[in-house]
Amino acid sequence: MAENGHQPLLSVKNLKTYFPTDEGLVRAVDGVSFNVAAGRTLGIVGESGCGKSTVGRSILGIIDRPGRVEDGEIIWRRDVNGDMQEIDVTKQQPNSGLMRSIRGSDIALVFQEPMTSFSPVHTIGNQLMEAIRLHLDLTKKEAEERAVDLLNRVGIPNPAQRIHEYSFQLSGGLRQRAMIAMALSCDPSLLIADEPTTALDVTTQAQILDLLRDLQEQNGMAIILITHNLGVVAEMADEVVVMYLGREAESGPVDDVFHNPQHPYTQGLLRSIPSIYAKGVERLPSIVGTIPHPFNRPSGCTFRPRCPSFMEGVCDVHVPKFQNIEGSEQAVSCFLHHPPAEVTN
Amino acid sequence: MATDAATTQNRSAVEFLDVRELKKHFPIQKGFLKRTVGQVRAVDDVSFSVRPGETLGLVGESGCGKTTTARCILRAIDPTSGEILFRTKDDDVVDISTLPRGPLRELRADMQMIFQDPFGSLNPRMTLLDIVGEPLLVHGMDSRRERADRVAELLRLVGLRPEYMRRFPHAFSGGERQRIGIARALALNPRLVVADEPVSALDVSVQAQVINLLEDLQQQLNLTYLFVAHDLSVVRHISDRVAVMYVGKIVELGKSEDIFDSPKHPYTSALLSSVPIPDPRLRAQRIILQGEVANPANPPSGCYFHPRCDYAVDQCRTDQPQLEEIEPGRWVSCWRARDLDLPGLVATHSGNGSS
Repeated sequence: MAENGHQPLLSVKNLKTYFPTDEGLVRAVDGVSFNVAAGRTLGIVGESGCGKSTVGRSILGIIDRPGRVEDGEIIWRRDVNGDMQEIDVTKQQPNSGLMRSIRGSDIALVFQEPMTSFSPVHTIGNQLMEAIRLHLDLTKKEAEERAVDLLNRVGIPNPAQRIHEYSFQLSGGLRQRAMIAMALSCDPSLLIADEPTTALDVTTQAQILDLLRDLQEQNGMAIILITHNLGVVAEMADEVVVMYLGREAESGPVDDVFHNPQHPYTQGLLRSIPSIYAKGVERLPSIVGTIPHPFNRPSGCTFRPRCPSFMEGVCDVHVPKFQNIEGSEQAVSCFLHHPPAEVTN
Repeated sequence: MATDAATTQNRSAVEFLDVRELKKHFPIQKGFLKRTVGQVRAVDDVSFSVRPGETLGLVGESGCGKTTTARCILRAIDPTSGEILFRTKDDDVVDISTLPRGPLRELRADMQMIFQDPFGSLNPRMTLLDIVGEPLLVHGMDSRRERADRVAELLRLVGLRPEYMRRFPHAFSGGERQRIGIARALALNPRLVVADEPVSALDVSVQAQVINLLEDLQQQLNLTYLFVAHDLSVVRHISDRVAVMYVGKIVELGKSEDIFDSPKHPYTSALLSSVPIPDPRLRAQRIILQGEVANPANPPSGCYFHPRCDYAVDQCRTDQPQLEEIEPGRWVSCWRARDLDLPGLVATHSGNGSS
């Protein structure tokens, strides 16, 4: 993905984030690698429990206890007064000064639930100004001006009044806009949006996606868009990572993955969405079975009990490696493309 | 339940379910004396009919009153006014909105509901046998053995193993729980099933399975569905006809393909255009609606949609349009329905698509 010679902004290599619980070890993220280039949008898609949100939280070092990054690296590259700095986020203490300087000002997060991510006892303006003054050396007055300006940029009407309102006085769409304003308060170079539109109606969703695209065009930030909605990814992303049970099933440029999916899971997922264009007279092709329980992961390829191309003696014995497909920009972890001999040797 | 002679004529036209001028207003109370200071018009003059054996999709954004409408039809809540006429098994027509308790209870065997949240709608302390068997018990199937047989049959019908009967809901995944909810709804052989967002809590790969199941069951058991949902692609797939609601009113009603291919109401057109399509080559020119959904406690004058409508004229600001049949079977509530040429899905999403 660093095709233009530049180093990617963020490189995640073989990230493993585990949650040791009393019942057993949950491998929420189990070996995920990707790059994010400046100004690009990476979509991470997957169904519930595939670890997509944990990837986002690992990058910011805000994994809930008892989760921890077990292995792998997350390299964040930033420009400090002309010097390129490379920081491995996994090696830092989560509460260190360095991490706190990255969080919010370099990498910002937009949460799914705009209802609960604001404090109900502080005004929107106070919360915005707090974030601004934490990272930038501004007076109260200047911070307030910046807050008004931010709310204006995300399209909230009457921003000068709105900063004195509480989050519950705003509708879902406005609240999500305020959330984005907060994330943008320090001009981050990477915005991680974790299901930013899932709680919203379609018309509001269209407004918010439009807003994110505009803002990206204006300040050239990179976006990691975490979602379960394949439509949203197709709409927004340049590159896609499809996750299944903590691992990458497939990744590549958005057009290739949607028009020429190589992994049986991606293929099944795309086929199982009803089309809005035509009433299918026929049944929806669905993926058989359900997502396995995290304590009950199948051996070998985790998708094999649901896979239509399951090969006995191969898929249940070996674990597929995530590899590039020759002659294409896509990568998959599937034995259909990389026979196990290649992997085990 | 003899039909009132005076209204026979009016009611004989009812094919299966007719909702007429249904209203549900929730009072806003304030202060110590709980004085009523306003009304939230959740459902405001809604009329439509459901034909036997069809699926009517009810779509709209949150707060548009689609769930309230569904709940009024089942009399889970009492409507403020209006008629809900339903043709019973014995070919009588009854008005559900005023039916006394006893007959209503009997009638409920005919109308069942599937809920959205498969986690909240099943009692965690009851086994599948008790959950699916409860409606049977309530409606007089006293023998435990008979109930167990029927529950086994129902579980098989929805694709679960009858051996699971003694297990508790926590042992099942979201999709399986939704199947349990479906089995419970079907226990009494209902003729009308109201499904309130039955697949929106499910993952994509599981969602398709449940949609297929609902369609299979409809064919096998000759069910009629009122399908409440906000996901337009799911609604298109499953519905024969679609009603679009905005702020407590139906703005457009018609055959599924007509609504999706050539919407006549600007709101429908905008709604369709906001759906993200899972195809990166079809990044469309969207109609982005400005502003917010109107407040049902304090709706704007005239057409409720006019402040967000690109096509609004003076008449829209002052006079409220009525739902009118502009073509046979095609109902629209818009002053300009006849002269507007609105983009449907095909128009908004083709052009820059190459496939």
